[in-house]
Amino acid sequence: MSKLSRREFLSISTKLCAMMGLGAGAVPRMAEALGQLAAGNPPVLWLQGLSCSGCSLSFLNSEDPGPGEILTKFISLIFHSTLSTATGDTAMKIVQETMQRGGFFLVVEGAIPAGMPEACLMRHEPVSALVSRAARKAQMVIAIGSCAAFGGIPAADNNPTGATSVPAFLKNEGITVPTIVLPGCPCHPDWFVGTLAHVLKFGGPELDDLGRPKVFFSKIVHEQCPRFTDYEREKFAGTFSQDGCLFKLGCLGPNTRADCTLRYWNSRTNTCIKAGSPCIGCASESFARKAEFPFYTKIAGTSLPKK
Amino acid sequence: MAKKVMIDPITRIEGHLSIRLEVDANRVTDAYSAGEMFRGFEIILRGRDPLDAQQITQRICGVCPVSHGTASVLAQDMAYGVTVPKNGRLARNLILGANYIQSHIIHFYQLSAFDFVDMEAITQYQGSDPLLCDMKAWVQSQTSTNMVYPAAPFLPRYAGRYLEDPQANILAVKNYLQALEMRALAHQMAAIFGGKIPHVPTLVPGGVTERVTTRQIIEYQSKLRKLQTFINKCYLPDVIAVASAFPEYFQIGKGCGNFLVFGVFANSDGSQSTFFPSGVLTNTYLRSFDHTKIAEDVLYSLFSSPSGLSPSDGETVPAPGKSGAYSWVKAPRYEGIPMEVGPLARMLVACRQGDPPQVKEEIDRLLSRLGQGPDALLSTMGRHAARAIECKIVADQCAQWVEELVPDQPTFQDFEIPESTSGYGLTEAPRGALGHWITVENRKIARYQCVVPTTWNCSPRDDRGVPGPMEQALIGTPIQDENNPIEATRVVRSFDPCLACAVH
Repeated sequence: MSKLSRREFLSISTKLCAMMGLGAGAVPRMAEALGQLAAGNPPVLWLQGLSCSGCSLSFLNSEDPGPGEILTKFISLIFHSTLSTATGDTAMKIVQETMQRGGFFLVVEGAIPAGMPEACLMRHEPVSALVSRAARKAQMVIAIGSCAAFGGIPAADNNPTGATSVPAFLKNEGITVPTIVLPGCPCHPDWFVGTLAHVLKFGGPELDDLGRPKVFFSKIVHEQCPRFTDYEREKFAGTFSQDGCLFKLGCLGPNTRADCTLRYWNSRTNTCIKAGSPCIGCASESFARKAEFPFYTKIAGTSLPKK
Repeated sequence: MAKKVMIDPITRIEGHLSIRLEVDANRVTDAYSAGEMFRGFEIILRGRDPLDAQQITQRICGVCPVSHGTASVLAQDMAYGVTVPKNGRLARNLILGANYIQSHIIHFYQLSAFDFVDMEAITQYQGSDPLLCDMKAWVQSQTSTNMVYPAAPFLPRYAGRYLEDPQANILAVKNYLQALEMRALAHQMAAIFGGKIPHVPTLVPGGVTERVTTRQIIEYQSKLRKLQTFINKCYLPDVIAVASAFPEYFQIGKGCGNFLVFGVFANSDGSQSTFFPSGVLTNTYLRSFDHTKIAEDVLYSLFSSPSGLSPSDGETVPAPGKSGAYSWVKAPRYEGIPMEVGPLARMLVACRQGDPPQVKEEIDRLLSRLGQGPDALLSTMGRHAARAIECKIVADQCAQWVEELVPDQPTFQDFEIPESTSGYGLTEAPRGALGHWITVENRKIARYQCVVPTTWNCSPRDDRGVPGPMEQALIGTPIQDENNPIEATRVVRSFDPCLACAVH
């Protein structure tokens, strides 16, 4: 798109406002909306609740496009706590103004401390209240990572904060807004960037009944396992670091929907099961939730067969 | 009369931190550091399978998960009485070392650089580098349209003095963009033996689950060489450029002057000593470290559990409305004294012990290059310099460790979990000293306590009212403009705070 001067911009905005029967007061807002379109960058507001920033770090591992390209060519990242130069009052002003304006994509990383709002504050305001206000004005919510998607570890048994997932929190607040959940601990960068690109270019992707994009989460880890033939031949690893299917060590691949065993992690470097680690179901809706349902079965106390 | 200045949220750190300052006659006269997010990991871990611990505690922090995983498996190695084979010790070092490199690069470029570098200088770029041409066109198009927040998230920023030399600024913007790729490359290097990152699956008591092949060795070496070049040709020179342009920051943000190091990176010979040695440095007096001298105060922290407990008997009972308390961070003290932890602490303790010898060599070289004396290290800029030196030394050492790997030799030793046992794991995260304490009863976790680097650095006042290390570093900082307290944020970021870690 060729670049317009500020004068041309305002002129077009005035004409459009007149065409749509809007008063002169709407001209600056129209110009602003056009400005965002001209820059091609839909605004994204990224808020963190009970999070570890792991999904933010994982997002930065995106490749082709990399994060620099995404920030300059795909989206306008209005606020992200880990990346924004704006800090303190300036940062808070940006968040407040963006929320009032509306129309942005809201990314929430981390669970919501529904039972203890003081457990997560930003400028004295509970982040739960911020997320609630932001979601009401957002055109879409993306809950990134297992904490935001399903509650994750902050919502595990015995948790003291009454933590809950973003969709459950929004439902409880009576907020209806298109919401996509992208589980994973962390969320794979392809899952986030792929979903974002799909939303921006073709609208929302097809979702399953938990709100996950089917394109990434319809397959079961076990069925695409690099050790699947070991399973079929009933060759099982007896302890860590052995060859064979990891099922008897407690592998949760059969219970988990995600494509990480095909996609691999960190630019196709490696993935858990390939590296001898049983799947701990980090993308599953029940990830880490039950104290009596451990990641590994090695605890039994009876000695497992050794090499 | 002192004026209150709130900086909330502090961005470009990990997590939720707020700073309250009292500023009088353009100088900080008092400072309060508050952790604003609590999840209750230590409570969640109670009653769980002990082998869940190294996976769950990694999720305390997405920036330094490997360090939590390492502390947890070290605690469990001790509790189960298992000895890790040499390949396993090396693989653990190589995963942790890769994440040190990742963490230090992201801290300098993505988190700190734009406190000093003027990114708008990119609009003056005249060259033909495609990355920089793209960046220039983007900033120009953003700032010439009617967007409310053009060039977000890189603008707006505090008004203040930034680097003035356009070429130095342009180079720093280029290196900011390259650093994004370099830190991802360091993550790839960690995933070779870690499986994936953030949150590596391969760390287990007894070693690692991944095995060693020649292919993996050369892959690690190839990625490491690129990172070593970046550290030597970009990171260290950029730190020198910033330090030369802002020499006053060798006088600002000194802090408490006490340094604590638990020690990190198992020596490959299996000895108890570590590559970076442990030690306690108070007023330039060096002594050996004893973990039983740690206790956590909570008078000003949002917990109702007893104050002054040792981590092996620690308790975590949240009390969000507690009167007089202002932070979710506890206040750990060593023999009752606040301690700074982190790369500066590690480099100072290693330098004093002459072990490893390259630490003193690198520090002397950098200080003479900058025309600064050793006292200058105890400062905002000293923390950046120490971090960059450490990044180089860790990368060089990883190159040694990867050579020591032997393909097809075991990386893991099997173990049994006793009915009842206990252990502790002491290591260092990129941000400083990290300890996990585990008690197992009936083969379940009965108690789990973590004392984390930012718990030390960003702690609130202790029961005696003594401010934490970062609070002390802020006191005395000059603030030219209370509406743009950039000097204070430079001091804060030099500690590389991680609040998800600090509170957990």
